[in-house]
Amino acid sequence: MTRYAHRRMTFRRFLLFVALPLVLAACNGERSGAAGDIVEVWAHAGQDSERRVLRDQVARFNARQSGIQVRLTLIPEGSYNAQVQAAAVAGDLPDLLEFDGPFLYSYVWQGRLQPLDALLPASVQADLLPSIIEQGTYQDRLWSVGTFDSGLGLYADRVQLKRAGIRIPSLEAPWDAAEFDDILERLAGLDADGRVLDLKLNYAGEWITYGLSPLIQSAGGDLIDRTDDARAEGVLDGPSAVGAMRRIQSWIIGGRVDPNIDDAAFATRRVALALGGHWNYPRYSERLGDDLLLLTLPDLGQGPKTGQGSWCWAVTADSRYPEAAAGFLAFLLEPEQVLAMTAANGAVPATRAAIARSPLYRPGGPLDLFVTQLEGGYSVLRPATPAYPVITAEFQKAFDRIRSGADVHAALHRAASVIDTEIADNRGYPLVGRARVEALR
Amino acid sequence: MSKPSTRRRLNDQTRAGWLLAGPAMLGLGLFILLPFLAALGMAFTNLRLGSPLPLEFVGLKQFQRIFADPEFLRALLNNLLFAGMIVPLQTALALGLALLLNQGLRGTVVFRTLFFMPVVFPMSLVAVVWVLIYAPGPNGMMNGFLELITLGVWEPRDFLRDPLLAMPALVLLSVWQGAGFQMVILLAGLQQIPRELYEAATLDGAKGWNRFRYVTLPQLRNALIFVVMITTILAFRLFDQVQIMTRGGPNGVTTTVMYEAVQAVFTRQQVARASAMTVVFFLMVLAVTWVQRRLARQEREVA
Repeated sequence: MTRYAHRRMTFRRFLLFVALPLVLAACNGERSGAAGDIVEVWAHAGQDSERRVLRDQVARFNARQSGIQVRLTLIPEGSYNAQVQAAAVAGDLPDLLEFDGPFLYSYVWQGRLQPLDALLPASVQADLLPSIIEQGTYQDRLWSVGTFDSGLGLYADRVQLKRAGIRIPSLEAPWDAAEFDDILERLAGLDADGRVLDLKLNYAGEWITYGLSPLIQSAGGDLIDRTDDARAEGVLDGPSAVGAMRRIQSWIIGGRVDPNIDDAAFATRRVALALGGHWNYPRYSERLGDDLLLLTLPDLGQGPKTGQGSWCWAVTADSRYPEAAAGFLAFLLEPEQVLAMTAANGAVPATRAAIARSPLYRPGGPLDLFVTQLEGGYSVLRPATPAYPVITAEFQKAFDRIRSGADVHAALHRAASVIDTEIADNRGYPLVGRARVEALR
Repeated sequence: MSKPSTRRRLNDQTRAGWLLAGPAMLGLGLFILLPFLAALGMAFTNLRLGSPLPLEFVGLKQFQRIFADPEFLRALLNNLLFAGMIVPLQTALALGLALLLNQGLRGTVVFRTLFFMPVVFPMSLVAVVWVLIYAPGPNGMMNGFLELITLGVWEPRDFLRDPLLAMPALVLLSVWQGAGFQMVILLAGLQQIPRELYEAATLDGAKGWNRFRYVTLPQLRNALIFVVMITTILAFRLFDQVQIMTRGGPNGVTTTVMYEAVQAVFTRQQVARASAMTVVFFLMVLAVTWVQRRLARQEREVA
């Protein structure tokens, strides 16, 4: 046991229970004067290559002009949201803030952001992928935009499919549910251990919601009812969602899914199919070369669906230089900058101008499917509600139970009732206070 | 008490006492008592981090909810399980190490330093190192070691994702990390036992076990009580290992009250709910410590 833990917990408690109220009281006063003409920018410290590109971009932007300068602060990804939340309560947010897309709605509801639609040039907005606009819109205003989006698909090994005599599907003619079950069995018949599908069960956290909820949506279910009167009961534990999760459970319990503990199930060709994101492409294409196929997810009844959304940028409500912050954001959305960032992290460029020049994503490029899915309405936004952090946490817990064999309906019902309690506790997230002011700005 | 002279003397001492205890009391009040009272107050509200909705008094609702929450109950149970495993194990190991070091063999200082070293490492570092030790697959250090000593019978397991092995895995690393601290305390206790007692016991014909049972253990009583109590309190605080290594999984077998509270406030912004958890937690630790002290004291009276 640890003395260190003790010290840290005491410090955390101090932060929470003593510093927090003090800060809450203090932030009614004036903000202490920041340095002259500096635009503060906070971003998550992603991969090494991403950090390098972003630092580079800041330097280039600052060199381009003499007036306002951008100052970049990188915050570790693991506890990013917790740290930003604490800073927000302390009234200490930067001018331009990065965060993971699904957290947008809770920042807006807390009154931390200001709308971007009036700040960002219309030409820049017009060039963005529809999925970027969709993710950034809440209460009929645009609050955030990303410089890249994500892509979710099913990677397949051409050789193994051919050996089992399996047809290659397309967006227009995807595999349906029964066909997919049959494919798993046929592949398993030729496989040493019968485990032929990789669902990235080794990933923790957000992946579960991002990667698996499209299968629920393809079956006609969802995480939550998407109307204003958002509820999870009857939806997340409804027959469609339960059916989809039962199917996934049967793949896992039936021994068709590789646990992927070494994170190399597909790269070493141990499995023929792998659910995965754009970030898997470099390694897979290096290992499989021309044998690599990128396919759409199976259609579980209501057409194939996929995920979308990634990190995005927003101008904070208290920013003293909103135009300058938006100016830097517009710079990040210039085709060269988008291409530099997406070359570093492999993600889908957010603007059509950049996509047209991207070797991977341009029409006919190997990852063209991701763009088609995002533009063609196949991708489903994760629920645009301030309750999202709870929705995803509960869904992950439910999945954890389901994968170890628990009753699917019971697990999803429990998650749904926790989510609905959370929504009721927050009175359905009415737009009040600062958020209301900002939404009318 | 009724005599004025006694009272004056007591008062004089009291003033000096308060003066000397002042700095420590101030620290205790500011960092322990005040936060606890704040948590107690918040536990009866609906406070959320950053919520624009008005603060409301909700009575006992937060407490009713956490006691109806299977995860919180599971966390309480896990805390008890962890303490129940680690207190005897760690105390026994620390005692064993202390006895070995007390033999006065060559190189004692080196071994004492080695055994104590893990205590100095931050738990976060230890946890990360042990994640590598518990790495799944045959290349993981622990899997490799078990395979070696079982002559290949051992099948590689994913310790931290195995519902049966995850908790014991945390116990093992925690014992390894913490035993050095208890060892040093017990070693100090051992070195204070007068040699004459052992000589007398030898003259009475006592051999190894009896010398340990009837001389060492009774003489170590106070040190052991202290060690058991401090280990119990530290065991209840289990958090770092869980946060870094298992995140409460698989299926809740390693979640703890501390982990649930941190999750509530930092991923779900539920300050009030987390406050209610910490209040329950505080009372539980207080109760366990109190019971232990009662038992120890009664023993002393009998003895």
